[in-house]
Amino acid sequence: MKPARIVAVAALAAAVGTGSAACSSSSGSAAPGSGGGGTVTIGESTTLSGSIAELGQSGLQGVQLAADDLNAHGGLLGHKVTVVSADDAATPATGAANVRSMILNDHVVAVFGPVSSAVAAAEEPVAAEYQVPIFFHTSNDISLLGKGFTQYAFQVVPNTVMESRAAADYLAAQSGGKQITVATFAPAYSFGYDTVSGFLQALKDLHVSYKLVAQQFPPLEATSISTYLSRIVTAHPDYLFNAQFGGDLVTFTKQAAGYGLFTKTKVIAMYDSPVLSALGSSAPAGAIGFDRAPFWAMPGLSSFSSQFHAKYGAWPSEWAVLGYTAVQTWAYGVEKAHSFTGSSVSAALPGATVPTIRGDITIRACDHQAEIPEYVGTVASSADSTYGMTLWNPSVFTAPFSTIDYSCAQMQALRG
Amino acid sequence: MSTFIIDAVGALSTAGTLFIVSAGLTLVFGAMRLINIAHGSFYMYGAFLVTTIGAASAGLRFWLAVVAGCLAVGLIGTAVEVGVMRRIYNSEHLTQLIATFGLFLIFADLALKFWGNSSRTVTAPAAVDGRLSLGGATFPEYDLVIIGFAAVVGVSLWALLQRSAFGWRIQAAVEDPEALQASGVNLRLLRTGVFALGAVLAGLAGAIVTPQVAVAPGMDSAIIVSAFIVAIIGGLGSVAGAALGALIIGTAETIGTVVAPSWASTFIYLAMIIVLVLRPAGLLGIPERAR
Repeated sequence: MKPARIVAVAALAAAVGTGSAACSSSSGSAAPGSGGGGTVTIGESTTLSGSIAELGQSGLQGVQLAADDLNAHGGLLGHKVTVVSADDAATPATGAANVRSMILNDHVVAVFGPVSSAVAAAEEPVAAEYQVPIFFHTSNDISLLGKGFTQYAFQVVPNTVMESRAAADYLAAQSGGKQITVATFAPAYSFGYDTVSGFLQALKDLHVSYKLVAQQFPPLEATSISTYLSRIVTAHPDYLFNAQFGGDLVTFTKQAAGYGLFTKTKVIAMYDSPVLSALGSSAPAGAIGFDRAPFWAMPGLSSFSSQFHAKYGAWPSEWAVLGYTAVQTWAYGVEKAHSFTGSSVSAALPGATVPTIRGDITIRACDHQAEIPEYVGTVASSADSTYGMTLWNPSVFTAPFSTIDYSCAQMQALRG
Repeated sequence: MSTFIIDAVGALSTAGTLFIVSAGLTLVFGAMRLINIAHGSFYMYGAFLVTTIGAASAGLRFWLAVVAGCLAVGLIGTAVEVGVMRRIYNSEHLTQLIATFGLFLIFADLALKFWGNSSRTVTAPAAVDGRLSLGGATFPEYDLVIIGFAAVVGVSLWALLQRSAFGWRIQAAVEDPEALQASGVNLRLLRTGVFALGAVLAGLAGAIVTPQVAVAPGMDSAIIVSAFIVAIIGGLGSVAGAALGALIIGTAETIGTVVAPSWASTFIYLAMIIVLVLRPAGLLGIPERAR
């Protein structure tokens, strides 16, 4: 076999292997679907294996817990809710196949997930084809409700524009009108490029006086990023905006600390509870974190957090909070429509204000984006005694939805 | 000057990890003509085992965990060779790829069962966990540890393959296995030893990078493509080629970060394409038909 062919097969194997190690379908409890025996089935198609499985597994826990809670209170419209789940292997084609199979074989009445926005983009038209509502609770690309909008798609997670604008808002307040130098660091794929681009645009919109001194885009899941880090270090930026997440951000933090980056540069990144927990004593005190739903900074979540901890032995990540919220949103739509029919539920939700564990959230009528904030804070210097891990300092900045998302007119323009 | 030093240390550190992983890959191919996708699994298991054995301790226990992790991966490699590999040595490369890809998936699934899907971290021993300043440049001390390990592995492998009876037997096993067996050498045992050594090298690479990375599922697939690219640039079967390939990758990536940051990661593929066009068997490789 020629060398080039070996690399091609190895790359293919690795690409498939990234997520397909456990490419099997599982369920909280198998159920026939909406028709049989007073049960109704919902589906969670997400990434359950590979490097981003932590996000998918956590989201699934939130979805499962929400279904359990619905059942504990008598079910929904008298039906017990069961959850079927499947691993999308972080692959769009697999995600689309999962959704089709869930609808046709499991007769799911709603779909939840996935982690990857590319997978979400592939699943969205399938759900629309069968008129089944789909709730994105982790994938958050702005295009899902922009160019790819369908009346069956809902997003209960801050989108990519909201996230980068919230970070820019916080930075604008921190800079105090002074000239600052900025560098960016992001994974080398569409999410990374889009998020960085959104962040820089937001700085311009906020009239922050900045000079861009370095930009680097390491590959996703790279274990050695020294070559990329060295370029950032030698540029001596005042602020570094990092769009990495999960394990990649952990790796960045461990290696960047070795260069003394955190002593000279303020790093802004998604320092959420899973990342801070993994970092342990290596958590970068003073760095700026953003989080989509930090359980410790949202007073309304204390009961849910305790319940989650009792069941799973861990505190809920934002992925679990958002998964739970997604099921609550769907359940509200079902009750309002008094029907499980996809078209009825999808018609009931736009403009509705939904009571959830995180408080009331409104589903914006024009694009089905949940009107929720993004949270920004500073990583604390010691572990929180209640939760046993390093989190943020108490003063958390809540970036309101109205200031960080695109307007309806802008979303309309995105659809072309 | 400081920029050059930081870049050089960064490139050498990247190259060091890649060399140790790909040395095992290329060693196994060189001795047995076996293409092993599951080599990435050995790398990941080396890392996970250190997080389990070494836990959060940062002292001597870390080094003991590295040694124990490597040995454990060597045992796993031995079991894999005895149970699976020795049955497919004479198969086509495509059959080997499919079989080892199956193992790769099984190992990934088992890792999820044993270690879960959360990221884990390990703290380096305090003696090598600081920062070093040289010529106005500051870089992680631990980068030098990785570079040092790579150098020791390189010299040791050279000595083993060029200056020991074991190395001569490996070469003879490739060129004339029947004659070697007729001379009283246990060919099966020799192949098991080489495969286990390859697994140990992958495990070692995974173990020593733990203080600098998030140890999590997916490490296997992330490393295997890079390891193959390094091995192929250097020439599959050539350990010296793997060292050269790793240096080229480290350098190409560094140049990429300077010239075109948005495309830096594609520079390694560009380097591979250029080498394959000019020397299809790799820089120090020998075409299979010429063997």
